[in-house]
Amino acid sequence: MLSQSTFGAITLLAALTTTVAGAQAFDDAKYPDWSGQWRRIEGGPPRYDMSKPPGHGQQAPLTPEYRALHEQSLKDQAAGGQGFDTTYMCIPMGMPRQMSGVFPFEFIFAPKITYILFEMMIQQPRRIYTDGRDWPKNEEPTFAGDSIGKWIDADGDGRYDVLEVETRNLRGPRVWDQSGMPMHADNEAVITERIYLDKANPDILHDEMTTTDHSLTRPWTATRNFKRERKVIWTENNCTEGNNHVVIGKENYFRSGDGYLMPARKNQAPPDLRYFKQSQK
Amino acid sequence: MLYRSSIAAIALTAALCMAMPDAQAFDDGQYPDLKGQWRRIAPPGQPAFDPSKPRGRGQQVPLTPEYQAVFEANLADLAAGGEGLWPGYRCRPPGMPPMMTAYEPLEIIVLPETTYILIDHIHDSHRRIYTDGRDWPEEAEPAFAGYSIGKWVDQDGDGRYDVLEVETRHIKGPRAYDAMGAPLHKDNKTVVNERIYLDQTDPNILHDEITVIDNALTRPWTVTKSYRRDPNPRPVWAEYICAENNTHVHIRNESYFLSGDDYLMPAKKDQPPPDLRYFNPSRK
Repeated sequence: MLSQSTFGAITLLAALTTTVAGAQAFDDAKYPDWSGQWRRIEGGPPRYDMSKPPGHGQQAPLTPEYRALHEQSLKDQAAGGQGFDTTYMCIPMGMPRQMSGVFPFEFIFAPKITYILFEMMIQQPRRIYTDGRDWPKNEEPTFAGDSIGKWIDADGDGRYDVLEVETRNLRGPRVWDQSGMPMHADNEAVITERIYLDKANPDILHDEMTTTDHSLTRPWTATRNFKRERKVIWTENNCTEGNNHVVIGKENYFRSGDGYLMPARKNQAPPDLRYFKQSQK
Repeated sequence: MLYRSSIAAIALTAALCMAMPDAQAFDDGQYPDLKGQWRRIAPPGQPAFDPSKPRGRGQQVPLTPEYQAVFEANLADLAAGGEGLWPGYRCRPPGMPPMMTAYEPLEIIVLPETTYILIDHIHDSHRRIYTDGRDWPEEAEPAFAGYSIGKWVDQDGDGRYDVLEVETRHIKGPRAYDAMGAPLHKDNKTVVNERIYLDQTDPNILHDEITVIDNALTRPWTVTKSYRRDPNPRPVWAEYICAENNTHVHIRNESYFLSGDDYLMPAKKDQPPPDLRYFNPSRK
């Protein structure tokens, strides 16, 4: 026979269990704790494979055509240009470069969508749909692409621990990194990711990323690592504020400290002023 | 003395109690259903801050004489082909409160500690409204979106929240109310209060009563913005990238245009060309 205290405890237990069932509209205990602010661990220029040096050191498996384009970009940058990198114009990096972690990001878990918000304001939030939907038809491509994800309980403990994501329907032009290594102009890249917490350190997050792109001879896999900041302060990173690049036609110029237009490269010709009255020059 | 079974039961209860905060993390039945995509309800064309009134002077912004003069100078500049005071021409964020004009659609994500407003307008991007009971930070870096603290209110006493009250401070400038350039004060001491709630008769209409307290105003200015929910349960989120195809070029306090064939051209009648003193004359 149960004692009164036992009965009371069990009644309380039953009441609590009932409350939980009623409150379970979104049981986030099923999901891992990815709260806080995440940024990359490895230093240096942001790049696709953070375990390798930038530029040629990436050993990207580029096709000969795209290797030649990368060389062209590097040569232009060496001369003071921007190569094929478009971020100086405040154009979004897009996927997969968007996940470089050079600026912090945050996860939001909702029952049907996992969101990733980026501190860099020109990055569109990623919406990773986990509601079992199929790929949309006839949607405009975006720099962030369409992402479909699936939560996995990899270790069978009843809680999800891995988010598997596939991203398609990307628009371009996009590059792999700031050296202007170009992704294919057909924009048919497919990016798969496995995102999970480190088993030994819950303040480290891994993103195993494999990109299939026609600029490559084979799929390219790299793992990005991020560290968590639990004491979060968000700032705004507005690319357009204080951006001193001035693009006129296909030429990039600079705005000098005193506001005048100035060349961005040696012996650069000034802009053609044909639409101004000659007497005004 | 407790029996062993009592101890075990109490221990289990205690363990469950400890687990409760996690398991119970989000009872979204307590909150209004704000899911989906929200588009502004406003007359067609370039939106005004107060959607119930005409643009420009028709907004009847209660500006101080000093800021009315600033506004008039801005209108004269616009009439001459200039950009006036609207930072959007240079793809700078509108900031609070004009970002709630919803130049592109909104998405609202309600979580217990934060309500997020995502704006499909890339350089606005998102707001975080903290509903975790925090106080104002002692030091906050000003941001165009500001720092927002909110409180959910059960106004009709039915046990569910129905109004989100928000106060926003620490806003960065320069800002204007809309593209006609009525300015906010350059001291950036603006305080924006909002009451966000679903329409009582149509749950697919959302209202945002915005009251702006700003030193450029003679009194607080209240405007109600409304939004309609897209009936598509899987709305399409487009990308709006201001910097892409922006034909405004700003050089040393002057704005110019890019022509259709990509040459620099005047934005105003008889506008002189930019000073090219830093270019090698032989290259001209």
